[in-house]
Amino acid sequence: MHIPDGYLDPYICVATYLVAVIVVILSFRKIKDLSVDKLTLIPVLAAAIFVAQMLNWPLPGGTSLHFVGAALAAILVGPWGGSIVLTLVLLVQALVFHDGGITTLGANILNMGIVAVWTGWLIYKYVPNKRLATFLAGWLSITFAGIVAGLELGLSKQLSQQFLYGLSITIPVMGGWHAVLGIIEGIITMGVYMYLTNKYPGLVSG
Amino acid sequence: MKESVLRYKKAFILLLFLIVISPIFGVILANLLGYHEPLDIAAELLGLNETTEEINWTPFLDYSVPGLPPEVGYIVSGLLGALVVLLLGYIVIKLRK
Repeated sequence: MHIPDGYLDPYICVATYLVAVIVVILSFRKIKDLSVDKLTLIPVLAAAIFVAQMLNWPLPGGTSLHFVGAALAAILVGPWGGSIVLTLVLLVQALVFHDGGITTLGANILNMGIVAVWTGWLIYKYVPNKRLATFLAGWLSITFAGIVAGLELGLSKQLSQQFLYGLSITIPVMGGWHAVLGIIEGIITMGVYMYLTNKYPGLVSG
Repeated sequence: MKESVLRYKKAFILLLFLIVISPIFGVILANLLGYHEPLDIAAELLGLNETTEEINWTPFLDYSVPGLPPEVGYIVSGLLGALVVLLLGYIVIKLRK
């Protein structure tokens, strides 16, 4: 879901950078309130998500995706910590590997590091059955992040002078595909959560 | 940092294992079956142009390492990337503790 350089127009780049910078600064301040245990989990979790994102799922004849990990990060270290985790991953991916553009880094942080993280967190927090909650958190985090990415792409490209024409293409394509592929994200998020609750209950609590 | 590395020893061993097998997913299967994200589909429909190759600053583009076969480059990239992420992460928490 990493938007490369060239896809977004300058206005969208600036606007998304602004939102991303504000939320990342706020998150950096807020993680001071995390317990030492949660805080020390941040670098390890970021490295783990970086590696997990390298494991693509190419589906025969169709469309591919890789694990994003935003909901999992939010569940383990809270939404502010989750945003920091994803920002670290996206920053290194963009700067060292040019995976995701530099002009679109703000948008990628917004989509995966903010929208997906907070969607995952809110669902996890408010759905009472935690096993179901982790599945829904993973699934819908990808779906919403996909829709917002579609919004950015659609607003960047106005075809044939028709207002909002781009959106009529990008929202269904991005939302639809991510709603399908996001199910895998939901299953992985739930699986990792269940494994950690069994083996290391301290990691998941609180 | 040392304390944390020891504490999460098992996690790091798992990560090393995943990095070693990562070319199966990121290189071999991706070449065999084609890697095509929903984003690529949307961009094609809109006629958007990627400028990644024209404006590039890194020798490690797309998790490759110059002079190494793609599979090995992917593993080296995985190690390098995970280490940089880890290091930045420790700097962040050092500033926040």
